[in-house]
Amino acid sequence: MNKKLTKWFLWVGLLIAGLVAVSLFSLSVGSAAIPIKKAAGILMGSGSGTEHTILFNIRLPRIILGLAIGGALSLAGVILQGIFRNPLVEPYTLGISGGAALGVSLHILLKLNNLTGLAGYPLAGSIGSLLVIILLYGLSAKKGILKMQGLLLTGVMISFISSSLIMLVMAISRTQDLHGIIFWIMGSLEEPSWTLIKIMLSISVVGLFLSYFYQKDLNALILGDEEALHLGVDVERAKKGLLILACVLTGCSVSLAGIIGFVGLVVPHVTRMFIGKDHRILLITSYLLGGTFLILCDTLARTIIAPMELPVGVITGIFGGSLFVYALTRKRVFVGGGS
Amino acid sequence: MTGNKRIFIGSMILVLLLFVAGSHSAEARPERIVSLGPSLTEELYMLGAQDSLVGCTTYCRVPSDKKNIEKVGTVVEVNLEKIVSLKPDLVLATSLTDLRAIEKMKLLGINVIVFPTAKDFTELCGQVLQLGRLVGREKDAQELVSETKEKVAAIISKKGDRPPRTVFVQIGTKPLFAASKDSFINSVVEFAGGTNIVSGSRSGIYSREKVIKEDPDVIIIATMGLVGRSEKRAWEEYKTLKAVKESSIYIVDPYKFCGPTPGNFVSALEETVRMLRIKDE
Repeated sequence: MNKKLTKWFLWVGLLIAGLVAVSLFSLSVGSAAIPIKKAAGILMGSGSGTEHTILFNIRLPRIILGLAIGGALSLAGVILQGIFRNPLVEPYTLGISGGAALGVSLHILLKLNNLTGLAGYPLAGSIGSLLVIILLYGLSAKKGILKMQGLLLTGVMISFISSSLIMLVMAISRTQDLHGIIFWIMGSLEEPSWTLIKIMLSISVVGLFLSYFYQKDLNALILGDEEALHLGVDVERAKKGLLILACVLTGCSVSLAGIIGFVGLVVPHVTRMFIGKDHRILLITSYLLGGTFLILCDTLARTIIAPMELPVGVITGIFGGSLFVYALTRKRVFVGGGS
Repeated sequence: MTGNKRIFIGSMILVLLLFVAGSHSAEARPERIVSLGPSLTEELYMLGAQDSLVGCTTYCRVPSDKKNIEKVGTVVEVNLEKIVSLKPDLVLATSLTDLRAIEKMKLLGINVIVFPTAKDFTELCGQVLQLGRLVGREKDAQELVSETKEKVAAIISKKGDRPPRTVFVQIGTKPLFAASKDSFINSVVEFAGGTNIVSGSRSGIYSREKVIKEDPDVIIIATMGLVGRSEKRAWEEYKTLKAVKESSIYIVDPYKFCGPTPGNFVSALEETVRMLRIKDE
C-alpha cells in the first residue's frame, strides 16, 4: 500500500510539474515575441506596458481558462465513463453541449445580445444545457431509479435533435449572424471577462473536490451495479450525484468556451492507460492532464500559423486523436486487461 | 439662490463650450491604425490615411511595397497579441470580427470602432464620412462621397428611363443562396433600375422553383471560377426562362459586388446597368 501511495504521489507531482512547465511555455510563446528572460522579469513584477498587458491580460487568462475547462471536461469524462461503464461516452454524448449550442444560436438569432451584451452568451448556453439536464433526468428517472441505458439513448437523441434545430436556426438566420454561430460552436478559450474565468475555475476545482466524495462508489461501480450494491454502495444516490456533477461541469464548460471536442474522451482513456483504473488517483490525474493538454493545444492553435489563429478544437482533435491511436497500438495490454 | 443658479448654468455652458472647442481644435489624426476589414483598408487608402495603417488582415489588399503593415489575422479570427503589440490608437472592426476579441480590446483600453457591413449606398456614404472623421480626414471623406455621388448620378442619368427589369442575384450554390434585401448587391441592383425578386425574403436560402416561377429578366451569379460557369450552365437548362432566351445570365466578380466601398459601388453599378440593358436597344 505504501509503495502504491508513493507511486501516486510521484504521478501527481509529475503532472503538476508538467502543468507548470506547459503553462510557462504557453506564457512565453506567441506571435508577439517576448524572450523568456524578459517574460520571467515581467512575471516577477518588473516590465513595461504592452508586454505586461500581453502576458497578463491575453496569455494568462487563456491558460487559466484552459486549466479550468480541460480539467472540468476530463473529470466529467472520467465520471461518465465510470457510471455508464462505456468507453465511448464523453461529456458531449448526453446532448448537454447540443443544448448549450442551441441556446447560443437562438440567442444570436433573436438578437438578444443587443440586450445582454457579451455575458448573454454563457447565460444562454447555461440555460440551454440546464434544460437538457432537466429533460434528461425527468425522462430517465422512474420512481427514483435512473435507467442508465435509457438515459444514454435519450441523451444521444437529444443531441441529434438539437443539432438539427441548430441547423434550422442557421438556415433561417441572416448571413451576418451565421458566422457568429459557427465560430461559437467551434469553441475558443478567448474570454474577455476575468470574473467569468474565475467563476469557471472555482466551479471546476469544487467539482474535483466533490467528485472525491464518490471515489469509492466509482470504484465499486466498475464491477457492475449489483456488485456495487452488495458492497454497500447506495448505487442510485451515487449515480444521481455523479451524473448531476458531470452535467454541471460540462454545461458550464460548454457555455463559456463553446464545444471543444475530444478532451473529455481522450484524456480519461490516456490517464487510465498509464495510471490504472483506481478512481482515487484517476480523478485528480485526469483533471491535471486534461488541463495541461488543453493549455498545450491552445498554445499550438494560436502559434502554428500565427498571426492567424486556429480553433482549438482542430488541435485537440488531430493531436489528441493521433496520440490516442498511437498509445492504443503500443499499450494494447492495458486497455484489454485493466490495470 | 437665483444668482447662484445663474452662475452655475453659466459655468456649465462655459465648460461645454470649452469642451466643444477643445475637441474641435484637437482633430487628432490617429497615427497607428489597425484595420480588420478589407473594405475598411481600401477606404483608408482612398482617404489618404494609408501611412497611419500599421496592421490589417490577411485578406486586405495592400501594395506589396508596404512591408511595415503587419498582418493581424483573418477577418473573423484576429490575433489579439499582435494587435496589442502594435500599440494602435485606433482599431477598425467589422461586424464579422469576433465579439470576444472586440470586448477584450475595449477592456485593454484600445479604441475600437465597429463598422457593420454597409447594406446600401446611403449607409456606405455615412460610413465613409464617419471613417473620415475618425482618422482626421473629414474633408477628404466629404470630397470622396460627393465625387462618388456625382459618378452615380451620371451613370443613372446616362442610362435614362427604361422599363423596370426583374433580377435574381445568386451568391452561393448548394444550397442556392441569393442576395436578399439587406445586402449591398441589392442596393446596386436597385440603383441600376432593377427589382430584386428576392428582396422580400429575410434569409438568403432560396428555392430554385420559385426563381423559375418568378422568371427574372436577368440572372447575376456572383461566384467566380468553375462553380460560376457550371451554375450558369445549370440555369441554361431551363429553356423557358426569359434570362436564358435573352442570354442574360452574367457571372460577376464577388469581390467587386460584395465588398462595400465607394469605388466598388460605382464600378459594380456601371456593370449592372450594362447587364440590365434590353438586348435590342
